[in-house]
Amino acid sequence: MSDEVKVGIISCSGEEIPEGTVSRLATRRVLDSLRPGRTVTLCLPLFLAGDEAEREFARRHPTITVDGCDKLCAKKGTEQYSGPVAASLVVSDLLGGRELCCARSTRASTESDEEAVWIVSEHIAAAVDVALDAEAESPSSGESSCDAGCSCSAPAKGIRLDVGGRTVNVTGLPLIFEHLAKSGLPADESSADKLLETVRIHHEIESAEEDAYKAALLSAYKSFRGCS
Amino acid sequence: MNENSEEARVLVIPCSGIGKVHGLISRECTYKITDELSPDTADTLCLALLVSGDEDALAKVKARPCITIDGCPKLCAQKNVALAGGTVARSVLVVEGFKNRRNAQPGTAATLADEGWEIVGELAGDIACAIPGLCEHERE
Repeated sequence: MSDEVKVGIISCSGEEIPEGTVSRLATRRVLDSLRPGRTVTLCLPLFLAGDEAEREFARRHPTITVDGCDKLCAKKGTEQYSGPVAASLVVSDLLGGRELCCARSTRASTESDEEAVWIVSEHIAAAVDVALDAEAESPSSGESSCDAGCSCSAPAKGIRLDVGGRTVNVTGLPLIFEHLAKSGLPADESSADKLLETVRIHHEIESAEEDAYKAALLSAYKSFRGCS
Repeated sequence: MNENSEEARVLVIPCSGIGKVHGLISRECTYKITDELSPDTADTLCLALLVSGDEDALAKVKARPCITIDGCPKLCAQKNVALAGGTVARSVLVVEGFKNRRNAQPGTAATLADEGWEIVGELAGDIACAIPGLCEHERE
């Protein structure tokens, strides 16, 4: 594990628009070619859905968001969960109309797309340098270590349940509980069915074990909400 | 396109994971379907917009059948559509496209090689075949 400070880059990767493809490819170019070793990427859908490891990384390290459009999904989500970002870049602002010649699919990529990716990636790299300089001047620089990377390759955290005397690890349960808590689900017996129904989306549950799972999930949810 | 056919459109939502080639395959599969194979019956939606709670995006996934394409077992697309109240009519894992391709060389997270495009074509073709049935079921 390195003590060297790294900058997190969060790309919106919006699927509906070419700017999302540009944001994704420009981020990759910075990671792979322009600033390798000094940058990591964080998976936005997982980050927004509540992955605590990624949020913690963004809290402790300078983070740059790259949004395709002015909806700013990456910036708003990052600031909501991890505080202010070091820089917020918007592809459509940086390209000044060039994005109109870009394609969503890399199959249809032309020189216009390559130029757009080049322009945006240079802006990201410059923002990375500024963030690293600021971090170097910070009194706390060097205190944080980095073991973060794209979440695709890291296991999701789980919670161990006692299901009828059997220990079962339910991957992603903290995220599910956090989501349900935000949606207002109370930590009492009335929520047992909803807990089972939601967890079942992610984790296979046999019919014969429903009652045992309900009891285990309710108990774990109460603990999660600080009710026991 | 009339209003009814618009409502019958299936939403194809990839994870677009940025760390590996699998995320790019999920994304290119989606475009193959929405832009080439089923342009009149399939559309896509920004997953980040949905996860951030955008009201229009939430309404869309609740109103239409969704097909999710995920690059890794974290299933970000499938889980987030379900958590948003959408119906995941079909959940596809990119790894399914690697079943008969040992030692495949699909490319990188930024660029697909020929074999990557072949996997995209196979997965997208398989998914597109299911779309008319989903649309029909939705109309009924």
